[in-house]
Order: sequence, then structure tokens, then C-alpha cells
Amino acid sequence: MNRRVVVAIALLVLAAALAFAARPHEATADERIDQITTELRCPVCQGLSVRDSSSETARQMRVLVAQRVREGKSNAEIETEFRASYGDWILLSPPVASWSGVVWLVPIAAIAAGLVLATGRLRSADPLEPVEPSATQVAALRERVAREEAAEG
Amino acid sequence: MLARVIRIAVVVGLLSLVMTLALAFRRDPHDIRTGTIGKPAPAFTLQRLDGSGEVALADLSGKVVVVNFFASWCLPCIQENPALVRVYERYRASDVVMLGVDFQESRENGLAYVQRMGTAWTTVADDDGRVALSYGVFGPPETFFIGPDGVIAGRHIGPIDEATLVNGIETLRARAAR
Repeated sequence: MNRRVVVAIALLVLAAALAFAARPHEATADERIDQITTELRCPVCQGLSVRDSSSETARQMRVLVAQRVREGKSNAEIETEFRASYGDWILLSPPVASWSGVVWLVPIAAIAAGLVLATGRLRSADPLEPVEPSATQVAALRERVAREEAAEG
Repeated sequence: MLARVIRIAVVVGLLSLVMTLALAFRRDPHDIRTGTIGKPAPAFTLQRLDGSGEVALADLSGKVVVVNFFASWCLPCIQENPALVRVYERYRASDVVMLGVDFQESRENGLAYVQRMGTAWTTVADDDGRVALSYGVFGPPETFFIGPDGVIAGRHIGPIDEATLVNGIETLRARAAR
């Protein structure tokens, strides 16, 4: 058989195997528990997820999540239950639409407002355009030049 | 011109930062308003620590209920206990109910603690911590004020003092009297 055909078949088989391995599949209960507890913040830790924490509170939360998964609750329903108790804070990545986003927007809005204010003030200031000297000033300058030339003489 | 714009922008930015920080630090860190404030108190039925039956929150409807989450291993709980004792004595003959919820420990340890501390109010055991989780408790001690309408009106994180307890109770009693 042509060597190129063999290589092509081998590549096709490899691609098919990879596609099969990476196919979307329904998450098992354990995978779902891991996923949910990774998204939940441990209430008594510093920036740790419920999955990664060894605290008693996190352990109790993991047990509750496992029970809710067994009861057939969806991930969203389980997260909603914790959000009802702890607010959006309990999610390690709170929803973007949350009002807490204002905390990030306020400084940016304030700086933008400052820039607009400063630009407006500078624009309203008198422009530095060249001004023609008056006839009196021209006469005085000519007289001064003539005087200095006479002195150098 | 650019330098002037930058200077003004920096001043405005700093002022905004100061204002944001000032607003943030004005809040009492013990008065954390999480999901349960202003909502009906999660229902529960728990066994008494001494094993003499159950207590259901629903049975306390129409009363001001002070729910205090505690544990024997928690030093701030020991610290706040004298205030709880004084407030309990003050309101024991009234429509105010104090309820201690022991969690994250064995019943034996919890019972030994309440006997040692002379806790006279009802204490119950939250063995699996479900009630604490449903109230959004971070850790002991935490105190919740539940109105006669069954709605959580306030919470206090950390050791509570007598004045805060009385203020929370009287606010709810005044609201109920209206």
C-alpha cells in the first residue's frame, strides 16, 4: 500500500480518537460536585474554594452540595441556594451584572469625568493667538530702534 | 496643557478614592448585610441540646426571636456570654425568645459548655450545620434578630454586647407595637 495512504489513515484514526475523547458528555455526579464546590467560596477561609478548603464549614458545604446533586438539583439551583444565604459573595466569580461592579466602574467614571472637566476648562480659556501691535506700539518700537542705532552710531 | 489635564485628573481620581474609602469604612463591619437580611428566616426544627425534645422556629411565630449561633471551642462566644445572660434575664418574662444554636461540635461538648456557662435559655444542636448554612453563618458567634413576622431584621457577626442586643430587640418590639 502506498505509504501516503497509510499515514493519512493513521492521522484520520488519531483525529477520530481525539474527537471521541473530547466529545461533550454529561458530567457525572462527582464531576458536578467538584465543579460546584470549585465555584463556591469557603466562608471561613481567605480566597479558598469550598473544594480546596479543609475547614469544617467547607466540609459541611460539600456534603450539602453532594446531597443536592443526588436529589437531582441543577448546578444553578444549588448555587442559588447558597446565594440566598450568603449573597453573591459566596461565588468566587460573582455575576458581572451584580451591583458590586459599580465599585470598579466608579473610579474609572470619576477619572473620565475629571478629564472631561479639565478639557472643558482648558478649551474655555483664552486662546493664545498672535496679536497685532497697535500703531502707538509700532511707533514706540521704531523710535527705540532709531535711538539705539544713533547711539551705536 | 497635557500636564494640567493629568494633574486635574489625578486630583479627581484621588478624591473619588477617598470618598469611596470613607463610605466603605463608615459601615459597621459586624453588620454585614448578606442574602438573608429582610427575608423570612429559614425554618428549622432542631433537637434540644439536653435531648428533651425538639424546638421548631415556626412555634415561635409572633415573638421577637434572638438566634445566637455558638460553639464551646469559640473564645468570642465565651466573651459575649455575660451580655447574653443579662439580656436573657431582662426579657425572660416578655415576648422575647432567646435561642442558642450549637454547631460544629459534638452535643456532649455543647451541653457541657451551656451547663458550665449557666446558659438558661433554650439551646439546640445543629449537628450537620445545615441551619447555620441556611442562615449564611460565617462562624460562631453570630446573632440574628427575627421579628414577630418571621423576617430576619438584623444580624451581628462576632461577639455581641448588651447594648447591641437591647437595641436590636427594642427596635423589633417597637416595630411590632406600631
